[in-house]
Amino acid sequence: MERKAAGGEVAGANFIDPRALARIGDLELVARTVVEGFINGLHRSPYLGLSLDFAEHRPYMPGDDLRRIDWRLWARTDRLYVKQFEAETNTNFVAILDVSRSMSFGSQGLTKLDYARFLVATLAYFSRSQRDRVGLITFDADIVEEVPPSAKHLEMVLHTLARARASGAGALAVPLRKLAERFRRRSILAVVSDFYHEPEEVVEAVRWLRYRGNDIIVFHVLDPAELEFPYEGGTSFEDLETGLRLPVMASELRERYRALVREHTERLSRLFAEERIDYVLLDTARPLDHALFDYLSSRERLSRVR
Amino acid sequence: MGLSFLVPAFLAGLVALGIPVLIHLTRRERTAVVEFPSLMFLQKLPYETIHRRRIRHWLLLVLRCVALALVVAAFARPFLDRPTAAAMGRGGREVVILLDRSYSMGYGDRWDRAREAAYRVIDGLGPRDRATLVLFDASAEAVTPATPDRGRLRAAVEAAEVGPGITRYGPALRLARSLLEASGVAEREVVLITDFQRVGWESEDPVRLPPGARLLPVPVADASAGNVAVTSVSFRRETFSGRERVTVSARLANKGGEAVRGVRVALELNGRELRAERVDLEPNGSAAVSFAPFTLSEPGTRGVVRVGEDALTADNAFHFVLSPGVALPVLVLEAGTGSAGRYLDRALAIGGEPGFQVTTRRAGQFRPAELEGRAVVILNDAPFPGGEGRRRLREFVEGGGGLIIVLGERSGGSDALGGLVGAAVGRPAEAWRGRRSAALVSVDYGHPIFEPFQAPRAGDFTSARFFRYRPVTVRQEGARVLARFDDGSPALIEQRVGRGRVLVWASTLDTDWNDLPLQPVFLPFVHQLVRHAAGYEPPRAWHTVGEALDLGGKGELGAGAAGWVAVSPSGERIRLGEGERAALALEEPGFYEIRSLAGGERGQTVAVNVDLAESDLASFDPSELVAAVGSDGGVPPQPGVLEARLTPEERERNQALWWYLLAAAFVLLAVETLVSNRLRRAG
Repeated sequence: MERKAAGGEVAGANFIDPRALARIGDLELVARTVVEGFINGLHRSPYLGLSLDFAEHRPYMPGDDLRRIDWRLWARTDRLYVKQFEAETNTNFVAILDVSRSMSFGSQGLTKLDYARFLVATLAYFSRSQRDRVGLITFDADIVEEVPPSAKHLEMVLHTLARARASGAGALAVPLRKLAERFRRRSILAVVSDFYHEPEEVVEAVRWLRYRGNDIIVFHVLDPAELEFPYEGGTSFEDLETGLRLPVMASELRERYRALVREHTERLSRLFAEERIDYVLLDTARPLDHALFDYLSSRERLSRVR
Repeated sequence: MGLSFLVPAFLAGLVALGIPVLIHLTRRERTAVVEFPSLMFLQKLPYETIHRRRIRHWLLLVLRCVALALVVAAFARPFLDRPTAAAMGRGGREVVILLDRSYSMGYGDRWDRAREAAYRVIDGLGPRDRATLVLFDASAEAVTPATPDRGRLRAAVEAAEVGPGITRYGPALRLARSLLEASGVAEREVVLITDFQRVGWESEDPVRLPPGARLLPVPVADASAGNVAVTSVSFRRETFSGRERVTVSARLANKGGEAVRGVRVALELNGRELRAERVDLEPNGSAAVSFAPFTLSEPGTRGVVRVGEDALTADNAFHFVLSPGVALPVLVLEAGTGSAGRYLDRALAIGGEPGFQVTTRRAGQFRPAELEGRAVVILNDAPFPGGEGRRRLREFVEGGGGLIIVLGERSGGSDALGGLVGAAVGRPAEAWRGRRSAALVSVDYGHPIFEPFQAPRAGDFTSARFFRYRPVTVRQEGARVLARFDDGSPALIEQRVGRGRVLVWASTLDTDWNDLPLQPVFLPFVHQLVRHAAGYEPPRAWHTVGEALDLGGKGELGAGAAGWVAVSPSGERIRLGEGERAALALEEPGFYEIRSLAGGERGQTVAVNVDLAESDLASFDPSELVAAVGSDGGVPPQPGVLEARLTPEERERNQALWWYLLAAAFVLLAVETLVSNRLRRAG
């Protein structure tokens, strides 16, 4: 099965339908299945070594650090080359997962929280396999659960994920501001939410996490129904978080709604870009591999020191 | 023409029009609730563009809204505010304002309301309109000519007062018709301001208005009107110790639908209250009250029976005049001392009202001076006096006296009638054709003598047997045969002579020639004979408003007096002309005092009461009258034209648009139900 990724087609990748994953009860198995399937499908892996592994030589350019010149190669070739290494990536990976009630929505048998759970598990698994320390924080209007980043916390992360339930109203500013003060080390933070807030508020809240130089990747998880608004005729919509009901003629509103959602996501994307924060919009109908790919692309960009 | 509302506050109920919309949206569209992560985007959409529910069935919505609007409008009591003709710029109108002034209009504030209505009509006149004010009760009187002068019309209304008359619509409508017919104006209206008493209309022949003319009723009747009236008074006379004692009984009627308890009834004599009683009256019931007897000594005693106060005061007092009883002086002349006068004397001795003061003389002893003061002379089987007696007797009759000639064996032959009657008397005849007796047939029951016997079982003359009688042949036209025997021979003949009259009875008044004295009719028959011969009229204790009093016949006042003066109950002096006869129109309830200008004699008091037919305040539907007087051209009157001059309440009540609106609303709701059910099945 091939799906188009947000950043383009990933050739040769065999993606797994999230609904198929949902039938796998074990999160670790899910994560492994996803990661391995993903890696096997890649033609090229820029992530083969994560320590001080040699990566490549490139011609010396004026201004390069003299200490990184490969003298042996100069001796053999009488040309100056600079050795390039993969950066030291033994960092913290912390998934910040929104478990507010709106995440319980799912129009196709898979809720957003399920999808996010797979995503975080996969990322955690993948990160652990990269020897990163993994942690997890769930929040709704406040912090719900917290698994501090540690090399040994993958199982706890997965367990916490499996236990997570969507409940309560969601908020970003309070929990994220609290979180910002907890990260002692520079970390990679994956914020997973449906972001039902004004884009400016979202960016303002997420910006707090950049304290101490954390790298942030934002996963915006939305159900296809939230994107496409496929409802017909008169429908009464009840807000999952507030209980407010609004009877509308859905078919007549569809285009306006889509335009609003599109404007919302585009605005988020733009604002995050301005803040140099990676923003990935995930449709829960899309395979997780896409998300992983996006993540890894971003991870590569963040961690590579050139 | 605009639509106005009596209670416009109810129009606030139009807010209820939102109800069917809500019903439509909530009931017609049954949709599932979809849980959605957030309504953030939906709420951002402008409200008016959020079509929360599509209204699919516009017909249902419109039906519901219109039905509700109709109900709301009905509660606001709408009426059409039609402009007047003048306001519409049309030509002038000829308006006849018929204003009821009968005494029932004095009930409560009816008269004030009637005058207000008249003012409104006058104020509604355009500059080119003309109006005539007609006041009516039993008769109608145009108090102003046709005039556009509103001030004059208003002054006439201002000056009008409730009278003592009764309501009759016929004369008023006929006068209105004649006024309209005399007018050359095309647009003609009759405004009838009255309480629409049923008694004023039932007995009238329908009057048709001219073609194109409209009758515009303005009812001022009260929804419920109670009234207690004294309907009649009767007297029972007794003689006690040589003095006459009278017991007065009054009959009261409650014309209302509610019982009246403890109403006070008082008897006044000569302005002083003599007796008082209290009585209970059932709804639409009547009761009689008898007062303790009193001694009547003075002629012309004024009496009044008063019943407690109610809204209609005109019929609360009943006036009457009482005088001690009188006896007719009768001179009976007989031929001898036989039994001829036995039955006659007995019969005349029993007289009640009036009694008879009988003096019997033998014909041979008759002296003309004895005629003085007599009312009637009876020649009972006696020859007609001759000489001076004959002449004086003729003068007596010509001067107004009565003469009864009873023919018998001893009556003279051809001279039996003394030349006073144009008839010839034959010899005594046996019963016709050998039969044992003749009977009295062919009685003129229309004559005052026989009138009391007219009713069935009131007296049978045919059972009397006449064995002998004197055949009388009438030769002059002045002689009128009042009864005949079965052979056609006259039995009773009347001849007027001068101001008096002569009655000839062709058989005896004893049992010699017939057995009439043995019949029950004998006594009243003889009384009738004498009363009629005397020209006796029982004194009336009271008269009714609207009657005319013939003064010429008042012997007490002296016939042919130099004239009379009457003082009405309100104190007005009425001078009546000289002459043989004069009539006084009795126009006010109360006591009239009438005196002869010749002076000297005591005056006469006449009691006058209102016509009690008017005290029945039951009213009828004005539309009945409007329909009855519809113009000859077949154009029915349009009751709505005058409504612009009515108060809003009256206009609303007349038009009753609310009823139609409610009916329309129910029809619409029924249609809505049908359509709704059909759509539900179809959907």
